[in-house]
Amino acid sequence: MTFALATVRARWATFLGSFVALGLGVAVLVSTLLVLVAAQPKVPDRYAGAQVLVRAAPAGADPEAFPEFLPWSRADAGPLAGRLAALPGVESAVPDLSFYAQLVRDGRPVGAPSEGQHNGHAWSTAALAPYPIVAGRAPAADGEVALDRDLGHAPGERVTLLTGAGPLPLTVTGTVDGPGFHVADPTADRLAGGVTVIGLRLSPGADPDAVAAAARDVVGDRADVYAGAGRTALEPEFEGRTRWIGAQLLIAMASLAGFVTIFVVASTFAFGIAQRRRELGLLRAVGATPGQVRGIIYGEAVVVGLLAAGGGAVLGAVFGPILGDLMVEAGLQPAGFTVLPDPLVLLGAVAVGLTVALLGVWSASRRAGRVRPLEALREAAVDRRPMTPARWIFGVLGTAGGLAVIAAAPALDPEMLVNLMIYAAMSLIVGLFLLAPVIIPPVVRLVTRPARGATGELVREGALVAVRRVASTAAPVLVTVGFAVLITGLFEIQSHAFGTQRAERVPADVVVSPDGVPGLSDAVAAAVAAGGGTSAAELPTRIFVTGPAGETWPVEASGVEPAALAAASVSVSSGSLDDLSAPDALVTTVGTAHRHGWQLGGTARVVLADGETATLRVVALAGDHALPAPVLINRDTARTHDPSALTPVLYAAGITPDRAGVEGLGGLAATPAEYAHRADAEEDRLVRIFLLVLLALSVGYTGIAIANTLLMATTARRRDFAVLRLTGATPGQVARTVAVETTLTVTIGAVLGGLVAFAALVGLRNGYTELLGSPVDLVIPWSTVLPLVATCYLLALLASVLPAHRLAAAPPTALAADRD
Amino acid sequence: MTTILHETTADAVRLADLRRVYGTGPQAVTALDGVTVDFPAGTFTAVMGPSGSGKSTLLHCAAGLDRPTGGTVTIAGTDLGPLGERALTVLRRQRIGFVFQSFNLVAALTAEQNVGLPLKLAGRRPARADLVRALDEVGLADRAGHRPGELSGGQQQRVAIARALVTRPAVLFADEPTGALDTRASRDVLALLRGIVDRHGQTVIMVTHDPVAAAYADRVLFLADGRLVDEMTAPAPVLTGARPGPGAGGPATGSRLGPEAIAARMAHLEAGA
Repeated sequence: MTFALATVRARWATFLGSFVALGLGVAVLVSTLLVLVAAQPKVPDRYAGAQVLVRAAPAGADPEAFPEFLPWSRADAGPLAGRLAALPGVESAVPDLSFYAQLVRDGRPVGAPSEGQHNGHAWSTAALAPYPIVAGRAPAADGEVALDRDLGHAPGERVTLLTGAGPLPLTVTGTVDGPGFHVADPTADRLAGGVTVIGLRLSPGADPDAVAAAARDVVGDRADVYAGAGRTALEPEFEGRTRWIGAQLLIAMASLAGFVTIFVVASTFAFGIAQRRRELGLLRAVGATPGQVRGIIYGEAVVVGLLAAGGGAVLGAVFGPILGDLMVEAGLQPAGFTVLPDPLVLLGAVAVGLTVALLGVWSASRRAGRVRPLEALREAAVDRRPMTPARWIFGVLGTAGGLAVIAAAPALDPEMLVNLMIYAAMSLIVGLFLLAPVIIPPVVRLVTRPARGATGELVREGALVAVRRVASTAAPVLVTVGFAVLITGLFEIQSHAFGTQRAERVPADVVVSPDGVPGLSDAVAAAVAAGGGTSAAELPTRIFVTGPAGETWPVEASGVEPAALAAASVSVSSGSLDDLSAPDALVTTVGTAHRHGWQLGGTARVVLADGETATLRVVALAGDHALPAPVLINRDTARTHDPSALTPVLYAAGITPDRAGVEGLGGLAATPAEYAHRADAEEDRLVRIFLLVLLALSVGYTGIAIANTLLMATTARRRDFAVLRLTGATPGQVARTVAVETTLTVTIGAVLGGLVAFAALVGLRNGYTELLGSPVDLVIPWSTVLPLVATCYLLALLASVLPAHRLAAAPPTALAADRD
Repeated sequence: MTTILHETTADAVRLADLRRVYGTGPQAVTALDGVTVDFPAGTFTAVMGPSGSGKSTLLHCAAGLDRPTGGTVTIAGTDLGPLGERALTVLRRQRIGFVFQSFNLVAALTAEQNVGLPLKLAGRRPARADLVRALDEVGLADRAGHRPGELSGGQQQRVAIARALVTRPAVLFADEPTGALDTRASRDVLALLRGIVDRHGQTVIMVTHDPVAAAYADRVLFLADGRLVDEMTAPAPVLTGARPGPGAGGPATGSRLGPEAIAARMAHLEAGA
């Protein structure tokens, strides 16, 4: 170990590559892990005072990441709350009545759109936080509201809230120290949909777990009961969703960083050891056993691993909070999200870094142990057996595995397609890297064919006898180009594929889209109508269908007006759309009808968004992709039972954007072309953030790897350069030879990386073509590829030619004297 | 191979008041302290001296690998002093051959490619026949396709000699050429050097500490503390071109310096130092 320490100190340049690669890898790992650890759900503030929470059970036997909860109707919720309130230890049971509400100030909706979704509450629910009145009094009648004192409205002032139906003028009666808008219970009763949460306030000294157990007996399978920390499950859905998207990005970052780190660390360690064959042979010659040589290598890995991982952890601890802030800014984490350096994460990351270092030298140390004593005396490293059986096996497995996943793309789960293609690319990269000694010689012969003279010969022969060195220096280029092209290509293909869909939407004169609001209220459609236009304002809602075994399924439904449908040239295969004007009418697709046993002219028993059970008549059936949603119901029925439903986008005819009159309602009127462009721009912004983070990560990281691998390779060749100089080469000729070598290396890396990305993109294209049923274009992001390859090339040239020229420009005696 | 024409009257290398000081101030070390000596064309000179006597520095300065602090080096009539690094490299490439203790072959290239390298670096395309002939001259025509790693030390040194001679240099410098070789391989290499002097009139300047090696030369220069302190010359005239063939060449023939005499002179030098 002391020997290893001394070696590391004396030959730090040899370890620089591994050190930098590992340190940066650990830094990325630490910052993402810190953010991930910090991104834990917490008990929502507005339920903080309710020690036990009862939530309706999710509908569907297979709840996904964001389940739909089967609401209680008002008629069920009241008596249930009564029975819960009667349990021993329970002081009160409050059904949570919430609805969409957003403050309108100076003609503009205020606040983050996603938070507005359920920001209106009954005053009685303020007790669950609790949010006591800090000024004025509680709202007691229609037209009264208590709101957050931070908004700066004093009791007595008039404010306007935007609700599903439209703007609602209210008088402030009091302020509280918490978010949300609290109205009198009877008002909330009309504005809110179904109840999915009942909060229990306990008497002093009551045991929450005992109460929870008693509550479970009352609700049975119909609901889940949470106490204590378990209440984090009630985190608002939008926060959970934001967190989930953020987590996806972080996991992608962490796994990409992990892969690149292991890859680069393993290849730089192997490379460093290959360069020290002489020294290791010398150790063997003076009596070190293969085991001792392996021990020295592991010792060095421990020293380098500890230093690099320690430094990386500190760096990560600094960058973690910055990353967290960035994610809040990009809308990938909820506001108020903070990251603290968790010592456990730091220690864990150091352990991981150390493990990666040891894994990285594992195969290299086995090789080092096999160095024969005589190799100390041999001229220079000529790869005698570049391909080992293990290299063959894993190389072929990696390549074949990656190709198999790509070939199977059309049959894969579309949700998993992107991730699977990334994994396939990783597998291909590893496979090709391992097979590089087989691939490189023919490529070298082909590429250097036109190069005549000394330079061409030196480069060609040099590359042919040192395929492992070429493979190691080409590896970071391979990873950089492979991932960068793949990631940009993935997004380009996705946005093309789904952009095509958007372009196929209904023709309209004006498209009104939400601006600062989560969706459009009914007032927007009314404003369009007042301006002389007609519009199809869909009202997406949710209905629940009970199956034969008593299980309940959520089904997407939409409230529509028959006339609007006809205008949008929606047609049915049997029955009549006009009949949808009846409040109890239902139109569905043939497939949905079949699944639920509905028949044209028959009835369908469903639970609506507010928990009320209704029997609807099936008045028409349509082809499977002919409707905007699987189930259509009367628009007024949808509005009555789902007061918070909002129209995502409104298509209007017979009007111009300037006459729509939707400003102040959170609507933005535009021509379809403007709308498509703007929607793309917004999508592009998010895509760009995502891309930028991933690209900066992988390219920045591998860029450093490219530079330091070449730097290592070049400085270690002092002796080669001396020989050339003594043979009569000018410093310029040495530098030129190195430049041509570098060109060759970058070409090999870029071509292989490009092939990997291309294969994975073809897989993605085929997968999406299968999914969408229409051909998807294969987009190669040339505008990313070319500057990227140029950057890699420039970086590589700088890292190799500059030191080579500096070494070669020294007087040849200095070089000749260096006999090692 | 036809005899290469040399101006027998001219000196291949002239050193005039050559000085080389390493470092400055009190730590300065004077490696060469005013050496003046001429090396006539077609002669084989050995330079001997104790460790630190400046013999390697002399060789490096004379070969244009190192810049002297003072004095002049003239190679085949060209003063090296005013030449820039590039011009110096070109001159070295054309007029100077160099052989080292460590053979300094390019590991990636075959013997034939190594021999052709100086010509290619000079922008010429060597004819394959010339390369084969050059290898044949050193007795390695059958090893043309082998890489250095596949050759013995003696064979590698002979490839290095073939490479040094392929540009037909005015002078061949050899820095302890047998230092890394066993007795037998040393003898082959020294006989080879003797042979090219005898048959082709090649000028050879060799640094060595081995009296047996030095005995192959026509003249032995002794260096101590950066100065020329002694000189031995073979009894017979050296420029007649009538010397015996390489097979007979060796320290055993009568007109040669004896290793014992050289060793005795060295011992005297070291005792005096």
